[in-house]
Amino acid sequence: MNIVVCIKQVPDVPNIRMDKERMTIIRDGVESIINPNDCVALDAALDLRGREGGGITVISMGPPQSEEALREALAYGADRAILLTDPVFAGADTLATSHVLARAIGMLDPIPDLILCGTQTIDSDTGHVGPQVAEELNLPMVSNVIEIHLEDGYLTVKRVHDGFLDTIRIKRPALLTISREMHKPRHLSLADLESAFSNQGILRMGHRELGLSPDEVGFSGSATWVQKLHRPPPKRKGEVLTGTPQFLVEEIIRRLEFLSIIDEEGDNE
Amino acid sequence: MNRQYEGIWIFGDYRNYFQNRVTLQLLAKGKELAGKLETQVTVLLLGYQVHQYAMEYTAHGAHVVMVVDHPALKDYQAETYTLLVADLVDRYRPEIFLAGATSFGREFFPRLAKRLKTGLSADCVALDVDPEKRLLIQTTPAFGGALLAEVVTPNHRPQMATVHPGIFQELLHNASAIVRVLYPEVEILPDERVQLLRSRREQSRDVKLENAPVVVVGGRGVGTKDHFQMLFELAEILGGEVGATRPAIRAEWAEEERLIGQTGKSVKPKLLITVGTSGALQYTTGIRGAETIIAINRDPHAPIFQMADLGLVGEARTVLELLLRELRKRV
Amino acid sequence: MDKALNHRESFISAHHNYLVNNMLTPGFLLGDPNSQEDFFFLADLVLPGEITPRISARLFDSGGRFLLEMGRNRIVENPGRCTHQSASGGFRILYSSGESLLEVNTQHFTNGYLTRIQGKLYDRDGRIRMEPSFDGVHVFGEAQLTLQAPYLFSGTSIGVTGPAKDPIFHVP
Repeated sequence: MNIVVCIKQVPDVPNIRMDKERMTIIRDGVESIINPNDCVALDAALDLRGREGGGITVISMGPPQSEEALREALAYGADRAILLTDPVFAGADTLATSHVLARAIGMLDPIPDLILCGTQTIDSDTGHVGPQVAEELNLPMVSNVIEIHLEDGYLTVKRVHDGFLDTIRIKRPALLTISREMHKPRHLSLADLESAFSNQGILRMGHRELGLSPDEVGFSGSATWVQKLHRPPPKRKGEVLTGTPQFLVEEIIRRLEFLSIIDEEGDNE
Repeated sequence: MNRQYEGIWIFGDYRNYFQNRVTLQLLAKGKELAGKLETQVTVLLLGYQVHQYAMEYTAHGAHVVMVVDHPALKDYQAETYTLLVADLVDRYRPEIFLAGATSFGREFFPRLAKRLKTGLSADCVALDVDPEKRLLIQTTPAFGGALLAEVVTPNHRPQMATVHPGIFQELLHNASAIVRVLYPEVEILPDERVQLLRSRREQSRDVKLENAPVVVVGGRGVGTKDHFQMLFELAEILGGEVGATRPAIRAEWAEEERLIGQTGKSVKPKLLITVGTSGALQYTTGIRGAETIIAINRDPHAPIFQMADLGLVGEARTVLELLLRELRKRV
Repeated sequence: MDKALNHRESFISAHHNYLVNNMLTPGFLLGDPNSQEDFFFLADLVLPGEITPRISARLFDSGGRFLLEMGRNRIVENPGRCTHQSASGGFRILYSSGESLLEVNTQHFTNGYLTRIQGKLYDRDGRIRMEPSFDGVHVFGEAQLTLQAPYLFSGTSIGVTGPAKDPIFHVP
């Protein structure tokens, strides 16, 4: 079966720095990783390929350095990688991003049976790209998948949704977003990485190759825009106490009483 | 011809109604925003035999309830709802459309926004309007909540947003309310490509942890698996659940489902007690929403103390043992 | 192209509704209770604090013969020798033959109530004015489908003192 995995390279940042003028994150000099949830989707793809055979294509829209993430995906075992990169893709919200991804996926040969995405990214957190790619490609979709069973022309999947465990039969081709719960830590050897970085070519496509006009993509093709970006106001001014364990415990108990988590002593008649 | 867009719509996400209050919370906020825009709030309810929920929304502040009641809508289904609701939006043209960021909302609303070719912001933690420009100002977290983004949809309609549960406060139940109810004529086209075979209610740990009023989290500083067990006892006494950071899970003191943080769960309990955690960003993004945070760590310079309402510098094991002894006396 | 706003409309109460023509409504009235001898059917508003519906009516059989008059759920005049039976969640009115004439049943929700009525009712001319549909009833002829304020009445004579807020309109 032919599987496409959408991945995004995201900053791995303990301390975010902002460009206040352009209302964006300063990405230079900051280590980048594959969005962790996308790794889980890639895991799921590798697992499915192991069961049914076929090929895995990883695809990503991003600046040129996203190529690193794609090479890492190849090292993990993806067969083919495509980088959608173009200065006019910048500033895209999920409407524009999903348009670019959907266009590229729609052009793939062979046509994919299955598209896998992570549930959300750790930077923009929306979780919209999967559903929006599915909508543009007119594909059925199931989100938060924790189990996948393959059938002829169909998939039966299990997913957790608002406190329900659903078993759903979905016709292929389809798009699935993969729950974090399917995470399986995988280890890459240095040899895998070296091989990925030296051997394979990554196909790069810009707006022209995709047949897209600049106003359909990037900032121009977006419907939302960020008018302000700021740190949340620090809402906690906690006191930090030191002292004997007895003192510390007394303070905890006082706070528990204050919050009505426990009753005040003597109230239990 | 651009017919004017007007009105605020709220998607009625009635599944799990008595625990899931997000539609009611949105109704309250929607009513406030509608006041500023001098317009009305409509709740859209799709389902089968949903009279009870129509009445509940009436009691909780809707100006109008719009109902599509049909056997084919018995189960939530994103593709079917997308077609149906896109048609209704096309006909009635609300300027703002809100939904709760439940699992379903997060699957359905982006599809709908894409179909309508409009903007959608996710998991908002605040909403406001600019009455002159009739703009919805959507505040959403980015980078796991380390930053807040103010987003607007200037040129597309409706302006759509999903909102995190628990952000707004619902209005009290008003049994005297009588409001308009509309039953639109629609064509329902169930999507045959997706079949729900079975649906079972699962009070899984996920839902328990994310809904728990008290969460006790342990990190590497707890020390050993035995010490970690004390957290379970503490949680039980306080009526809460236990979470863990990545190091604690790697040490196999707790299962993966208990992971809290960037790649784990986000919790917003009334009280969070975090023990032996240094306060790495990957962890703290999962606890930002807690109402009150108590932190116990033996390092007075641990970053966790910057996030705590009450910080206690002490040895995790010693403090826990003593705390449990005191609490056991009271039970 | 401007698509029409194509919908049916009613009112809905937070506390109690009837199900009529596949719509919820706080109360509805068929016919005219003030006419001394004509058909009418009144499902009155149930106010917060009350939980039983208030049904009043003057009913005829398919031949236009006067069957009974009801006030507040009870039979007050009964030339047709019908019987009143309590049932769980409501009550039933039966023809002298034992066949069902009218069924009223109230479902309890956590915070509200829904009354379903089932019955085939005729007026003085033997025309059908109400008949069962899947979940409730369909009504025909002169009707106010959405009362927003209660009618007030006393005893056996239905004196209408409450104002009707909605215009009377014909349901084909």
